[in-house]
This record gives sequence, structure tokens and C-alpha cells, in this order.
Amino acid sequence: MQASLTDAALWHRIHFGFTITYHYLFPQLTMGLAWFLVHWKWRALRTGDEKYNRAARFWARIFGLNFAVGVVTGIPMEFQFGTNWAGFSKYSGAVIGQTLAMEGMFAFFLESAFIGALIWGEKRLGPRNHFLAAVGVATGSWLSGLFILLTNAFMQHPVGYAVAADGTLALSDVGAFLLNPWALVQYAHNQCAALVTGSFAVAAMGAFYTLRGTHPEQAKVYLNTGTLVGLVASLLVAFPTGDSQAKMVGRYQPVTLASMEGLFQGTRLADVSMIGQPNVIQQRLENPIPLPGALSFLAYGTFQSYVRGLNEFPKDDWPDNIELIYYAFHIMITLGTIFILIMAWANWKRWRGRLESSCGLLWVLMLAFPFPYIATSLGWMTAEMGRQPWLVYGLFRTNSGYSQVVSAGDTIFTLIGFVGLYFVLGLLFLYLTGREIHKGPDEADAVARPQEVSV
Amino acid sequence: MITLWYGILAFMLTTYIVLDGRNFGAGILHWIVARNQNERRQVIAAIGPLWSWHEVWLVGTGGVMIMAFPRLMATSFSGCYLALFLILWCILLRGMSLEVGGHLSDRLWQEFWDAVFVFSNVLLAVLFGAALGNIARGVPLSSEGTFYLPFFTNFGIRGAVGLLDWYTVPMAGFCVLILTAHGATYLTMKTEGAVHERSVRLTRGLWVAVIPAFVIITLLTWFVRPELLEGIAVRPAACLTLLITVAGIYALVTGLRHQRERLALLGSTFLLFGLLMTGAAALFPVMLFSTTDPGLRLTAADCAAPAFSLAIAVAWWIPALTLAFTYLYIIQRYYSGKVNVSQDNQELY
Repeated sequence: MQASLTDAALWHRIHFGFTITYHYLFPQLTMGLAWFLVHWKWRALRTGDEKYNRAARFWARIFGLNFAVGVVTGIPMEFQFGTNWAGFSKYSGAVIGQTLAMEGMFAFFLESAFIGALIWGEKRLGPRNHFLAAVGVATGSWLSGLFILLTNAFMQHPVGYAVAADGTLALSDVGAFLLNPWALVQYAHNQCAALVTGSFAVAAMGAFYTLRGTHPEQAKVYLNTGTLVGLVASLLVAFPTGDSQAKMVGRYQPVTLASMEGLFQGTRLADVSMIGQPNVIQQRLENPIPLPGALSFLAYGTFQSYVRGLNEFPKDDWPDNIELIYYAFHIMITLGTIFILIMAWANWKRWRGRLESSCGLLWVLMLAFPFPYIATSLGWMTAEMGRQPWLVYGLFRTNSGYSQVVSAGDTIFTLIGFVGLYFVLGLLFLYLTGREIHKGPDEADAVARPQEVSV
Repeated sequence: MITLWYGILAFMLTTYIVLDGRNFGAGILHWIVARNQNERRQVIAAIGPLWSWHEVWLVGTGGVMIMAFPRLMATSFSGCYLALFLILWCILLRGMSLEVGGHLSDRLWQEFWDAVFVFSNVLLAVLFGAALGNIARGVPLSSEGTFYLPFFTNFGIRGAVGLLDWYTVPMAGFCVLILTAHGATYLTMKTEGAVHERSVRLTRGLWVAVIPAFVIITLLTWFVRPELLEGIAVRPAACLTLLITVAGIYALVTGLRHQRERLALLGSTFLLFGLLMTGAAALFPVMLFSTTDPGLRLTAADCAAPAFSLAIAVAWWIPALTLAFTYLYIIQRYYSGKVNVSQDNQELY
């Protein structure tokens, strides 16, 4: 591929890649936090303990900020299918349009109706309805994730379709399309990862307040809930969901699996290299530290399983950036392992009753919260670049999918526009979130909340 | 089935324009009806709680369009590439000004975000108006069924068409006017005090101004695309929607005469809804006219997804819409009545 300013295909990909990666920073936290809010509202309802309400109120404000940015950055995504990927829309719209339309109709109407009630309407709704509003928002956000992953799963592993007379795709089996095995595994993996992001954020906030010596009661709630959910979710991300995801890739996209591990020659007893650098020109892995046979075992269940190497596939079907896939995948795995270790350590301390006094651990927890964002972004990079050179795997190539009428220049121009707008948006988001954190859960609560006078 | 989905798409887009149109209108009037910070918070609070619910109609329209008419989405969105991104950025900026601006207590920043709010609303009304103009007039479709519209032309009556040209600019102006009138009607219902009085005065003036503007735009449309007006006469659906329009006008006039603010808003909502649906009915079965060669036009059948996809989608679309209105019904009760800044202030984060 020529890499130049006039290469429209490349710029359309960067355009979509940038906007979706930025967008997904926000929904992953809201999907993770949503069930924390439900949990705290539920505890408050059951125990009558005000500290849970206070926790829910504080995190609902953080949630609201993330939600707002998620909405405004999400709206363009749907339209980019038409503007930048006209070929793809025309080819597969009849199939993927189903889930995209369902997302709007089932998930967004639910979410957007109750988000205002969740953030602003506590007194107006009363405790019980306010709890239900939290459930509504959480359900809506997870439904939206489901429909988007169904859409993506069709691109990764198309099922339930037929090819129409004009060469475009048509839906033929709704059941198969909606129960795509790829979608179910990927959804489980992705939602657990969202919970990891959420729980690291909650735990980091608890650690931050503890280290500063402010809001001790709230900090304890955050640390306890955050570390417990964090451990469970980190474990689930790796096993069974991550493990099944890798097996799925091995089964349906063997060339992607080979790229993820930098495996050029097919072999039995294939290694997983813990460290290494793929050298695509010489077709080998430099300086590997191998775990013998691990890849055969993890991907296909036995050490003797044969894992196919990149050489066995035509070069036209290779993902177009093997190095990047390799690094993205390996750093994601490493981070995932570290998350388990951190959370196991924190839970051990919590079990011993020493979590609040372990200064070193609190520092680690506080500084760890950005890393789940990095891990999820890398995971998606692995999935999406691993799918290349296909837009719909095995059916439709990426180079046929972009809008032929839109020049590279127009694409770069709008990309620059997004970069600028999103930079400002990010600054505002950080400022407002920082202000909330500075204000803290107790103080914000103490300030009179005038809107709560009932109408 | 294709006709049904054409109707659903028109219904969803129209609903979006009618619902969010009142927010555009209120935003355009923001500086005119509200003269101090407290009054401005009143206008923002009238829009605040439900604007994202309104925006979902746009997202839903996009989803339905790619599902039912993939070729229309592909052709029209890539052909109006730059205009589409202007719309998306305005929506983004307006969302930021509502969500962020409302939460800053600093006066300077509030004024800045108010300006962003007004600016993006004006531009959105203009762009949606120009888009309607382009749909009515048609686009320069090539033999491959694609087009790429320039932003401007030399505004000559003969010759090339552009996103903004001699026909679409008056159309955009008309849209700004009628949406402003719609927004003023909404603000009259939602506000009290000085904002309310200014809105009442503006509402009457604006609706009176709509009448000659409507006559002009109808004549222009007749000149550009006579098929549209002829379509109204022969289609029963268009007669039905015209009836809705007339009922809307009646309700609007009665509401304005007797200071029944809710009735007036209902009237202007139905008036807009009826007008847009009449346009859609007159357009059918065409989705995009061609200005280059009439034979190259794209009809609903050309753009539609296969019948099985459409049939499946009806099966889930109807319950989904029912659910959506159920949520609205549940939530609307909490936001009904006049806004009160001390209660609906968004300084809550």
C-alpha cells in the first residue's frame, strides 16, 4: 500500500479509527459504571444507609459527563458509514443496518429518556423509581453495546446472510445473525473489560481520597466495591471470555491468529512468545522468549495441535500491518495479567483489613486507572486490524468499501476538524471531571440542590 | 413493503425535525427573547432535559435509512460529504454548549457557550433547510448513481446546482423562519415573565411572516420541480397529510387567538409535521431526483433493501416504537409545565 496524502483508502481508515477509538473511551466507562450505580442504589434501598446514596450521586455526575461526551462523539459514527464508507453501506446495509437501527430504537430511546431522571431527578422520582431509572440506563447502555457488537461480529464472522442478485448482501436467517457465536463471545469479553475499566476508576478514586485523607467513608465504599468487582471482572476478561475469543480467532481467522503471534511458519507445539519483535521482511520473530507449545494448547486445546503460519496463506489475505497487531495483542495480554495481579493483591489486603493503610498499593491503584483504557483500545486494534484486509471477513475487501466520490483531501480535512473539536472536548471533559473530583462526594451533597423542590 | 418503509423513514425524519426544530427555533431566538443570564437559563432549561431524546430520532432515522435504503444512505451522504460534517459538528457543538455551558457558573464562559449555542442552532436550521431544498430539486446524479455536490454555485438560475444555490438558499431561509416561529411557540408555552412576553409578541409576528414566505417558496418549487405539486393532487396520502396541515393551522390560529399555549404548540407541531409529510408523499416514489438526466433518478425501489430484511424489520420496529413512546410518557410527566430556573437549572453536576 502506498502511504501518501492522496491515498483515500488509508485516510478513510484513519478517519474512522480515530473517531471510534476516541468515542469508545467514554462508553466503556459508562457501561462499567452503570451497574455500580444500580448496585449502590439497590444497597441504599435495602439498607437505608445514606452513604450508598451519596456514592451513587457522586458517580452519577461522573457518569453523566461521560455519557454526554459519549453521545456527542457517537452521533457522527453512524453517519460516517454513509459519508466515508458508501461502498460498504451499499453492500451490507440490508444486514448490518438491522442492528444499527435496533440500537437506536431499543437502546438509545431507553437510555436518553432515563439519563436525565437518573442525574437530576432523585427527589422528583423518589428512591424506588430512581433505582429503576438507574436500571433503565444500565440496560440501555448494555443493549447498545450488544447491537454494536452484533454489527461488528457480522463483519468479523458473517453468518445468516445471502448474496442478492445485484451482488449486495441480504439477510436470510435472522436467528443465526442475532445469535452469531462471534458476537456472544466478543460481547462477554468486551463487557467484562468495560467492568474492569469501571472498577479501576472507582478503586482509583477511593485510593485518591484515602491518600489525601479526605472523604474517608466514601473512599472506603469505592475501594471495597471497586477492588472486589475489579478482581472478578479481570479474571473473567482472561478466562473464559478472552480464552474463547482467541479460540474463535483461531477457528475462523487463522491468518489473524498467526499475525497476533508473529507465527510465520506453521508448526505443531507452536509457542507463545512473551516478548519478541516480528520482522515481516525476513519473516521471523526476533528475540523471542517462548512458552513452548502454549499457542497450540490455547488456540486448539492440545499441545500437538497444528497452528498454521502466515506462509500458508496468500499474501493478499494477510492483515496489512502485522507488527502493530502483534504489539497491540501482546501489550493487551500483559496488561490484563497485571490487572489480575493488582486486584488480587488489593483483595488480599482488603481481606486482611489493611487496604486503607497500604500506602504503596493505594498509589498503584490510583495510578492504574488509565491502563484499562489502553488495554481495551489495543484489544479493539487487534480485532479490527486483524480483520484486514477484509471489511466483511472473506466477502468484501476494505479497499472496495470507502466512498469513491470523497477525495483523500476532504477526508483529511474532516479528520483534522475532528481532531481539533475532540481536543477541545477532551479538555472540557477533564476540567469538569476534575472539578467534580475536587468538590468530592460529600461536599457536593452538602450544597443545597435547589432542583429537588418537588413540582 | 417498500412503500411502508418509505413512510416510516419519512415519519422518523419528520418527527426529528419537528421535535428538534423547536430547539433550533428556541436557540435562534435565544439572544432575542432572553436578555440577562437568568432569562437565558430559562431558555436552556426549556430545552435541556429532552434534547438528547429528540436527537435519538435523528440517530434512529440514520439507522432506518441504512437498513431499509442502503443505497440512498451511501449515495446521498457521501455526495454531500462536507455539508454532512458541518451538520455533525454543529450538533456536536450544540450538545457541548448545552451540556457543558449549563454547568459553568462563570459569567464569561456562560456567554461564550451561549454564543456557540445560538451559532450552531442557526447553522443547523440553515443546513437542514438547504438539505430539504436539495431533496426537492434533485442532485446531479451520474450514470453510476453517484454525485458530489459543490458547496456553492454562482447562484445563476441556469447551469450547475450546488448545495447552496439560488433555490436552496431561499428554502433554507424559509426553514429558519418557520422553525423560529415553531420555537417561539414552544418558548411561549414553557416560559414565564419577560421571556414569555417577548415570545408571545414574536410568535405572532413570525407566523404572519411565514405566510408570504410560504407562497414564495411554493412558487419557486413549482418552477424548479413541477412534479412535486402535481404529485400532491394525485396521491391520496398527500391529501391526508394536507388535512393534518390544515388542522394544525386551525389549532395554531385558535391557540394564538385565545392564548391557549399548549394548543398553539400542538397546532404548529402538526402544521410542520403535515407540511413535511406532504412533501414526502409528493416526492414518492422518488428518493433523489436527478438534475442531469431525469432518467437517472433514484426511486425507493432502486434504493431498498431486499424484501425479507424489510419484513423482519417491521416485526421489531413496531414494538420498539411503542416502547420508545412509553418511556416518553413516563418521563414527560416529570418535565411538564413551565420551567422554573431554580428547579430546572442544569447547574447540577
